Amino acid sequence: MHLLAIESSCDDTSAAVLRDGEILSNCIANQTAHAEYGGVVPEVASRAHQMNIIPVVDLALKKAGVQKEDLDAIAFTRGPGLLGSLLVGVSFTKAFAMSLDIPMIEVNHMNAHVLAHFAEDPKPAFPFLCLTVSGGHTQIVLVRDYLDMEVIGTTIDDAAGEAFDKTGKILGLPYPAGPHIDRLAKEGQPVFPFTEPRIEGLDFSFSGLKTSILYYLQKRVKENPDFVKENMADICASVQSRIISILLNKLVKAAEQTGIKEIAIAGGVSANSGLRRALQEKGKELGWNTYIPAFQYCTDNAGMIAVAGYRKYLAGEFVGQDVTAEARLKMT
Amino acid sequence: MELIIKELDALPDAAQQLLDYAGDRNIFCFSGNLGAGKTTFIKALCAHLDVREAVTSPTYSLINEYTYPDDFGNEKVLRHMDLYRLNQPEEAFAIGLEDYLYGDDLTFIEWFEIVEDWLPDDAVIIKIEMLPDSSRKMIFL
Repeated sequence: MHLLAIESSCDDTSAAVLRDGEILSNCIANQTAHAEYGGVVPEVASRAHQMNIIPVVDLALKKAGVQKEDLDAIAFTRGPGLLGSLLVGVSFTKAFAMSLDIPMIEVNHMNAHVLAHFAEDPKPAFPFLCLTVSGGHTQIVLVRDYLDMEVIGTTIDDAAGEAFDKTGKILGLPYPAGPHIDRLAKEGQPVFPFTEPRIEGLDFSFSGLKTSILYYLQKRVKENPDFVKENMADICASVQSRIISILLNKLVKAAEQTGIKEIAIAGGVSANSGLRRALQEKGKELGWNTYIPAFQYCTDNAGMIAVAGYRKYLAGEFVGQDVTAEARLKMT
Repeated sequence: MELIIKELDALPDAAQQLLDYAGDRNIFCFSGNLGAGKTTFIKALCAHLDVREAVTSPTYSLINEYTYPDDFGNEKVLRHMDLYRLNQPEEAFAIGLEDYLYGDDLTFIEWFEIVEDWLPDDAVIIKIEMLPDSSRKMIFL
């Protein structure tokens, strides 16, 4: 069977083609995809999705070597995300499905981040825990089966990716700051004492960390105006190490509470090299099997929507033309 | 109107004072440096309005929507927006900002400066400033 998948929940427009569970193409609209049609891609705009969606679908089909007449179903991100952006994907899907007379499959973006682990080997065994971390999300998900998941911990304020970005802003680094902090942290030592917040249960908080970093730096800059510049690598290492310890300490707690030793991470922040290394070390120490998806399946992409859509196809879960985008879609 | 907030416990009261001050005005713009407490105050406003869902930062998602009951128990929508990631006013219009600015729903906006020229005349401006003893000064305009 052939399945087309569409993802348009936030900044990037993406399309993927899957055959019998295997991803044939996974394209994200960028200057390359757009060059064929001319024009530029604005950084943030749902109008950009309208410009990008046809070219990126076309590209995904061509790369996969699949004709649109060969498609058996189309999967799309229904939510959560930015409503204007989601609407573009949903409307495209409806028209496409109707013209080809094929069924539609709705996918929850957050479920799909978890199921990205089934795009390639090695695949985690059920049940497993997945820490999904990105610019907009930080959650621990208990995954019982492909279509049976439960959020057991989540951020009560900022996401981990936002903690990287906002700290980067304080340090004068470009947006998004995560990759810059990751790079600079490698040259430094975590010598500055940014405290870990005390939050009940498995929930996270990163808002206080941002403020404590700000206060600390303001104080030190008063004594030495060049403090940030002179200590950039150590500050980055300290920030990164604290964010990672907040994430991993809750993950350890979740593993203890559930007795699960299959541990995965997903989402854009799982590209962070410090987090990857720390997870692997923690896994060795505690006897976990750890899973980190390939980079192209970490960030927002339609490949993960295709994997999730395929599982729903096998389960016979389709939706009708009356489906609408849902900005605050809850995980099921 | 001006308030000095010495501790987090004072935020519910500050939320009530802001809503009293605003009356029928429904667009609220929050100004203040990173870490000043804009999101924290908006969380307090949402709690005060009886929003039941967890209020989290909209920096990445740009707009978060919540529901709350009005005085008659009807479900109303409120929006929490954050324009921090945007570089040009056009990007704000591309996400539907005009509809929200000139609609009837309660709308809380952080990092609104990029669209300052397009705000309705009766928008409420909330300035939050960090004082040396780490208490906060709030000015409502």
